[in-house]
Amino acid sequence: MASDKSDLLQGTLDMLVLKIIALEPAHGYGIAQRIQQISREVLQVQQGSLYPALHRLEKRGWLKAEWRASETGRDAKFYTLTRTGRKQLGEEAANWDRLAGAVELIMRTSE
Amino acid sequence: MDPEIAYHVDRLTQDYVAQGLDPREARRRALLEFGGPAQIEEDLRDIRRPRWLADLRQDLVYAARTLRRSRGFLASAVLTLALGTGANTAIFSLIDAVMLRPMPAVRAPAEVVQIARVMEECGSCAVSYPLFEYFHDRLSSISGSFVEMAIRHEITIDGVDEDATGSAVSGEYYQVLGLAPAAGRLLTPLDDAVPTPVAVISYDYWRRRFGLDPAAIGARLTYATTTLTIVGVEPKEFEGTSRWREHSFAAPLSMVDALNGGNGKWRSEWSLNSLAMMARLKSGVTLERANAEVTALFEPWIHDRAATIPVGFQRQQILNQHAVALSGAAGMNGLRLQFIKPLAILMGIVALVLLLACANISGLLLARAAARQREISVRRALGASNGRLVRQFLAESLLLALCGAAVGFGAAQWFSRMLINMMANGDSLSLKATADWRVFAFTGAVSLVVCVLGGLAPGLGAARARINPALKEVRAGGYRHLGRLLVVAQLAISMTLLVGASLFIRSLVKLYSVDTGMRTGGVFLANVTSKHHFPPARSREIESAIIDDLRRMPGVMASSAANMVPLGGGEWNREVQVEDRAFRPGEDNTTLLNAVSPGYFRVTGTPILLGRDFDARDESSQNHVVIVNESFVHQLLAGQQPLGKHVTSNNVRYEIIGVAADTKYQNLRKGVSREMYLEWVQQQSAEPGRWQPMGYTYMARVSAGDPMRLAPLMERAMPEIDPAMRIFRPQTFEDQVNESTLNERIMATLGGFFGVLALIVACLGIFGILAFQVSRRINEIGIRMALGAARRDIVALVLREAALILVPGCLAGSLAAVVLSRFATSFLFGVTPTDPAAFGIAALALALSTLAAGYLPARRAARVDPMAALRCD
Repeated sequence: MASDKSDLLQGTLDMLVLKIIALEPAHGYGIAQRIQQISREVLQVQQGSLYPALHRLEKRGWLKAEWRASETGRDAKFYTLTRTGRKQLGEEAANWDRLAGAVELIMRTSE
Repeated sequence: MDPEIAYHVDRLTQDYVAQGLDPREARRRALLEFGGPAQIEEDLRDIRRPRWLADLRQDLVYAARTLRRSRGFLASAVLTLALGTGANTAIFSLIDAVMLRPMPAVRAPAEVVQIARVMEECGSCAVSYPLFEYFHDRLSSISGSFVEMAIRHEITIDGVDEDATGSAVSGEYYQVLGLAPAAGRLLTPLDDAVPTPVAVISYDYWRRRFGLDPAAIGARLTYATTTLTIVGVEPKEFEGTSRWREHSFAAPLSMVDALNGGNGKWRSEWSLNSLAMMARLKSGVTLERANAEVTALFEPWIHDRAATIPVGFQRQQILNQHAVALSGAAGMNGLRLQFIKPLAILMGIVALVLLLACANISGLLLARAAARQREISVRRALGASNGRLVRQFLAESLLLALCGAAVGFGAAQWFSRMLINMMANGDSLSLKATADWRVFAFTGAVSLVVCVLGGLAPGLGAARARINPALKEVRAGGYRHLGRLLVVAQLAISMTLLVGASLFIRSLVKLYSVDTGMRTGGVFLANVTSKHHFPPARSREIESAIIDDLRRMPGVMASSAANMVPLGGGEWNREVQVEDRAFRPGEDNTTLLNAVSPGYFRVTGTPILLGRDFDARDESSQNHVVIVNESFVHQLLAGQQPLGKHVTSNNVRYEIIGVAADTKYQNLRKGVSREMYLEWVQQQSAEPGRWQPMGYTYMARVSAGDPMRLAPLMERAMPEIDPAMRIFRPQTFEDQVNESTLNERIMATLGGFFGVLALIVACLGIFGILAFQVSRRINEIGIRMALGAARRDIVALVLREAALILVPGCLAGSLAAVVLSRFATSFLFGVTPTDPAAFGIAALALALSTLAAGYLPARRAARVDPMAALRCD
């Protein structure tokens, strides 16, 4: 099963985190779960690298954090996208589209 | 654990429990999957707050803790720093006050220029009113200009007298400076156009005299016999244009004759240079352009004027001047140039002191680092990086710098006040050496530089140290060379400072052993002021009465009056023609003059070598008489019988009736010049209307005791002679001589002070390094003693170490002194900058002190018990 999982492409974690939070405010555990669920267990977030990423994004002003009750009733730190964060997401998504298209063009060339 | 991470780990644990794992195993798996929460927490901290900031705080806290533990080190380091930064800050704040700080309250001070004549004896001489008008009307590079002169008198407000200094200013003064009144209005060109009895007071004076009462506007101020109405107050920060001088009030320049009883000649006489001139440049005009225009305009003007006087020495002197525009941003340049020279030398001295402090601190930190080598090795072994170790040392330095700067800043306040008092020399010098941001920044920077430089060397040394040997070795080596080098540097700097000190002190001694031709001890001097002027006959009565009163006071042997007291700094000279002696063209045909009363030579103790003193006969005699000095005879009447010869000056023909011994005239430094004494009463009738009782200094010689006891007696006597008269600045002749040696005394005092201080600091350095070495070499000393070395040999061993430091330090210091002492030449007297005696004295002092500093460690070494020494580690 481990072989089915892929590590995240360098630099894509920030974009994925922004995207997940854009769907709805979430806490760290939730974000990790979401990435796995949506990618159908293909993408595996290194739990350890998730938090530094979250804090970095918060420091840049793309995320806002607040403590509130989670689905289990216990308080958890929820992250919300800010306006600049939404803009950043748009830019990164466009960037990704270009990159993915380019990679696809190369890979689809017939031998 | 961080609650955010704890939440995540708990959720993961729950997931595993849900999958059927036992809770303990679930948690283990969760932690494994999460990957070391502690490490992640640290990563998060780094993101939240940059690493170096956290480290810095940690370093500072640690440094504070270690410094607190070593109080002795802290105290000596902070004291040394305070000495270095304090002295530098004090001198800098004075330079800042005299030179750099732009005039406060003045609009765009950079545009303000001073226009001055430049002659041999002064860098910014006063101008005459006609010259001012000429420049005012013709200069195209300025938008406005003014002249002012200092006026000082007793002024009376509401019946209370007070000595005050102010300025008589021409009309555009406040416009050019761009000032706005704090109350009422300022003076305008209209006030000056016709003499208007109004005055403006300074904010300071408003506060001091009126307690900021608005009723001051409209109050009456009586200056001598003239009453002025106060119309306004200057802005708060304004200090006047000459900031070393008190500035309490300003009156229109056109009032100056009414105030001082003048005859108005200054308005038309181009050679009466008594005004300081300033102007504001038109915007966009550079100082260079203005300067070029001033110089160019002055050239034809002075040539036209010079053409009106006969070809000769004086005409040549008049043509030997030019005019310049100087920056006036910091105020008038006049006295500033006089202060700036000693300040520059002092700045050099205290810079050396700072260097010394730097070397000393560095030595202290080094010794500390050596003592802490084991700790450093342990920290390295535990994984501290080079950068981290250096930073740790720098943190300690930073903390030291802060403490040193704080103490030094306090010391500087005290020190600069002391210096100002010294420079003021008993007179009022209102120099505001306030601690502004510039001074703060200066102290901080200086302190920081010292500590960082001082802390860098041991820090880098620690970074280089290897772990293993240091951990094993018990006593630290390695720092020896650098440590010794630092002590050599301290000795070298001390040597340089000591040479300077002995040069200054020897100059002062030589200056005071100069033969003045007079006996200055036991002589009382007093000036007088009056509320108004007197007609000639009344003037005469008052002058005689003062001399007679003085003569009758107990213990007075002789009394007299003179319009020029020797060694007072003033000078009065005129051209003379001498019977049977023609001057070559261009030869100096002037002589110094003094107008004295009979008895003058008895008061000053100057022998009359030939002929007689003035006496009562001369007062009414139509035959004008003079007494000349020896130099006069040598230079102008060589080989002739001087008595009975005639000299002519200012169209009066005088007969020489006596020859007095040579005396110094202006100050102790200047050589003796030819001089001619006039009889005072005759001089009054020759120049009617010019002389007043206030024009003379009254003198008395006492047989014993302090001459100043005459001051209260004379103070009481004055109002009885005339109710308008007061005594003013009584002092002894010796005090006046001391005034003329002010710069030399400042240099000798401060030079000596810093020299001794440097010596003490350097001795502590020597003591430290020798004591350290003795403690390092205890085993060796023990072995030597066990092998039969006598105590004498051990003492010699230690003292040889001292000599190895002393000799290079002494040589390097002498070399530096040879180079540097040239800059102090103008403060030296009777000694050359490379005076062998001065160097010898300094070297001797240094050698003796080194010996003294080496004595304790040497004695300790000699008392080592060989058995104990061999056993210890």
